[in-house]
Formats: sequence, C-alpha cells, structure tokens
Amino acid sequence: MGCGSLEASDFKSDLKPIWCPGCGDFGVLQALYRALAAVGRPPHEIAFISGIGCSSRIPGYTTAYGFNTVHGRALPIAQGVKLANPDLLVVVAGGDGDGFSIGGGHVAHAVRRNLDLTYLVMDNQVYGLTKGQLSPTSLKGLETVTSPLGSLEDPINPLLYVLAYGAGFVAQATPADMPGMAALIEEAIRYPGFSFVNIQSPCVTFGEEEQQLRAHKAKLKPLAKLHHDPSNPLAALDLARAYGRELYTGVFYRNPAPPQPYDALVRLRQAEQSKLATPRAQLLDTWLADGRGKR
Amino acid sequence: MTHADSAPGIDFEALTLKDALDLAVLIEEEARDRYEELAAQLLLHHNRDAARFFTRMVRVEELHRAALVEKREKLFGRQKPAVGRELLFEVEAPEYDAVRADMTERQALSTALQSERKAYRFFSSALEHVQHRDVKTLFTELCAEELEHIRLVQGELARLPEPGPLEATDVSDDPAPQ
Ligand SMILES: Cc1ncc(C[n+]2csc(CCOP(=O)(O)OP(=O)(O)O)c2C)c(N)n1
Ligand code: SF4
Ligand SMILES: [Mg+2]
Repeated sequence: MGCGSLEASDFKSDLKPIWCPGCGDFGVLQALYRALAAVGRPPHEIAFISGIGCSSRIPGYTTAYGFNTVHGRALPIAQGVKLANPDLLVVVAGGDGDGFSIGGGHVAHAVRRNLDLTYLVMDNQVYGLTKGQLSPTSLKGLETVTSPLGSLEDPINPLLYVLAYGAGFVAQATPADMPGMAALIEEAIRYPGFSFVNIQSPCVTFGEEEQQLRAHKAKLKPLAKLHHDPSNPLAALDLARAYGRELYTGVFYRNPAPPQPYDALVRLRQAEQSKLATPRAQLLDTWLADGRGKR
Repeated sequence: MTHADSAPGIDFEALTLKDALDLAVLIEEEARDRYEELAAQLLLHHNRDAARFFTRMVRVEELHRAALVEKREKLFGRQKPAVGRELLFEVEAPEYDAVRADMTERQALSTALQSERKAYRFFSSALEHVQHRDVKTLFTELCAEELEHIRLVQGELARLPEPGPLEATDVSDDPAPQ
C-alpha cells in the first residue's frame, strides 16, 4: 500500500461488524472507507475515537488506530489525542445518545475550542445497543421501553446545537445517498477545524418505519438542489430548525475563512515559548547567575 | 437508481470499450463482495438459509466477473485500467438495508431479484448516453444478460413453496443489539 494510491479496502480491518443485518451503520462504514481513501492519509496516520454504543464500534472495523473509550467521553479523549500528536488525523464517531445525552456537555467545548477533528454522529434517534430506549433525538410521542405511553419531550436538535456554538463545518448525510455521504465525510475531514456530520443512520431493529432508508429516499432534500449558500450562517440556522421534520442533506454551513484551529495555535505558542526558554545545559548557570542559588 | 445515481463520477458519453469492460468487471466484483459480506452477516445471526443463498450468489457474480475479465484480456491484454471501484456505488450489489437477521430464503431471493433489476436499469439508462458503438453493443449484451438473470431468479422464486400463514419473521426475536 503506497500513499497516493490508497483504496477503500486498505481501511477495512479483518474484524467483521456484528451489527444487526440491515443496520444503517454498515453504509456509514463503507462511505467512511471511501472518504478515507479519497483523503489519502495512510491508516497509521489516522486515529478513530469513539464512545459506547452500536455505532461506537467503528474504530475496530478500520485499520487505523482506534480507541473505543467510555460512554459519552469520545470528544475529550479525542482532543487529548490530537493535542498529544497533532499530526494525527483524528475522527470521532458515536451515537446520538453518546454525543447528546451523556456526552452532551462536551460538545459545546469541543466546538468552541475548535481542534482539527471530525465528529461523525450516527443519529438513529434511539439507544440501539441497550435495546431501544428513548434517546435525546427521539421524536416527541415515540413509544419505547422507557416511554411506553409515548415520549413527552421534544428532541435535541444536533444541527442547531453545533451551529449555535459556532462550528465551522456542519453537514447532514444518510446512507440513502451513498455517494453524497462519502463526499460529505471527505469534505468534513478536509475542513481545517472542528467539523460535524449528523448522519441519519437507521436502526432497523428498534427504529421507526419513517426513519428507515426507504423513507429517507422518499423525503431527502439535498441542500445543493435548494441552492443553499453554505457560507451563510443565518440561512444554515434557519434550515437546521427543520431537523425532525425535513431531511436536508449536504453542507449547512462551511466557514469560508476558517480560523487557525486550537492545535495549530498551541503549536505556535509552544514554538514562541521555546524561543524564550533556557537550554537545559545552561539551566544551572542561569540559576546561579540570577543569584537564586545563594542561601 | 439509474447510472447517474450509482456512478455519478462517470462520463458515459466519453466511455471507451476498455473502460466500459473494466467498469462491468468492477460492478460484478462489487456485487460479489457485497453478497459475501451479507452471507457472513447472516451466518453470524444463525440464519443459514439466507446465508446459503447469498453464498451461491457470490459464486454466480464471480463467474460473471471472470467471464468479463477474460473478454477484457483478450481485447486489451494487461493494460492498466483507468477506472476504479471508487466510481461505483451499489450498481448490482444489494444495499445493506436490503437484509434482516431473520429474513427468509424467499426474501433473500427477492433481494437478489431487486439487485438484478437495479443493474438492468443501470445499463439501460446508461445506454441512452454512451456514444461509442462497441460500448453500445457491450451494454446491450449486458442488459440482455441482466434480463436473463431476472428471469432465472423469478423462476427460482416461483419454485419455492408458498409461504405459510406464519413466516419465520413473524415469530422471531429481535436480533441481539451489537
Ligand atoms: C456510563 C455509562 N452509562 C450507561 C451505559 C449504557 N449504555 C451503553 S450504550 C448506551 C446508549 C447507546 O446509544 P447511542 O449512543 O445512541 O448509540 P447506538 O447504540 O444507538 O449506536 C448506553 C446508555 C454505559 N455503557 N456507560
Ligand atoms: S440495534 Fe440498531 S443500531 Fe444497533 S446494530 Fe442493531 S440495527 Fe444497528
Ligand atoms: Mg443511537
């Protein structure tokens, strides 16, 4: 395998996914392999960080470095990984529960800190792994084992959430449009800063009929066809409000002038500080010359 | 799904015979690999009947692929292909969504039938755009082959016993979430 000639299969590990046959996450994984091949960074330069959930199994299915961490903590760990080794391409993957329930508090900080990470949320509007409980993105009225009479709460809107905190790249995809999803993931990875893709990835075992691929195909509306200008943040916010009603796919917002990401700023500061620092060999002399060595 | 949906990056008007043959090989390869994946998924969930049928489809797609490779090599030897798998999205390969852990053999056959129909639609819609005469001939042949496959699968479906009042899917448990 040589750089510049990577194929999707180079990113596929020997571990066979054990998701339920038909799960939307299979399509996401396939699109991810394609996007990584297109980006062209070899597996040893990539790290996948996830939380816990069906969707969080993704790191194991790739040949890149991977860490299937703890529930809701993928983002803080991914930020640590990126800061420790800024040369790594870091992709964070997980579910709607992982990202917007238990891990919801971390999202705002990851967005405002703006490290160069890509966050892929497989939003199936349910807790899949634990057998179909209500999730933060479940629609009002949904009947589940934890809401037998129907949920009384409105869902979180993941698109508005990240847009409101100022994310520079926000998109939505579905396995109902595989070429579109692969292209969006690639674009998100290439964006220099925090990028977010909400992927409507159906849970075929506990999900609702109207959230399955057949329904997606019937109702998806590519933003490009609506002539949406992704550099317009207000238009993006307006469209994002339709989450749960409309299935818009494509880029809601892409900052046309991305600021330096946090990891790059940290590197700059480290470089500046190291210019001021005293070389180790001269530490003792400097200390004595300062008179600090006198009793 | 037409050629424009599953191969949006290909300019069919400019397609040469060599590229068209390579594309056809890749389409069969994609279908073969997908059936292999689906068979493995179903075996993992102890659905032997559907897995057995998909494993048969692996062999069928491989046979088609090998026949096309032979044709390609006769005409163009070992010249490097100019098209790659990244240009194709589930032309003849069933979509992941087309299977379920508890699907019956009949449903597995229907999945294959839909995929053959999908491939037929791909080649017939692409035919409206291809310019080169020999590519037109190839795609017309491939359309005819897909129609033949459709008839074969339909024949097999007709030979299966009629479903009873209760299908396996009516009484099976949800698969264990993974
Ligand atoms: C600290 C902690 N709390 C709860 C759980 C149980 N748990 C595991 S996965 C999960 C939710 C999974 O839902 P989601 O993140 O949407 O992923 P999906 O399975 O739907 O892909 C929960 C509550 C846990 N593993 N750890
Ligand atoms: S429970 Fe749902 S999300 Fe989990 S593997 Fe099965 S279909 Fe996928
Ligand atoms: Mg979920």
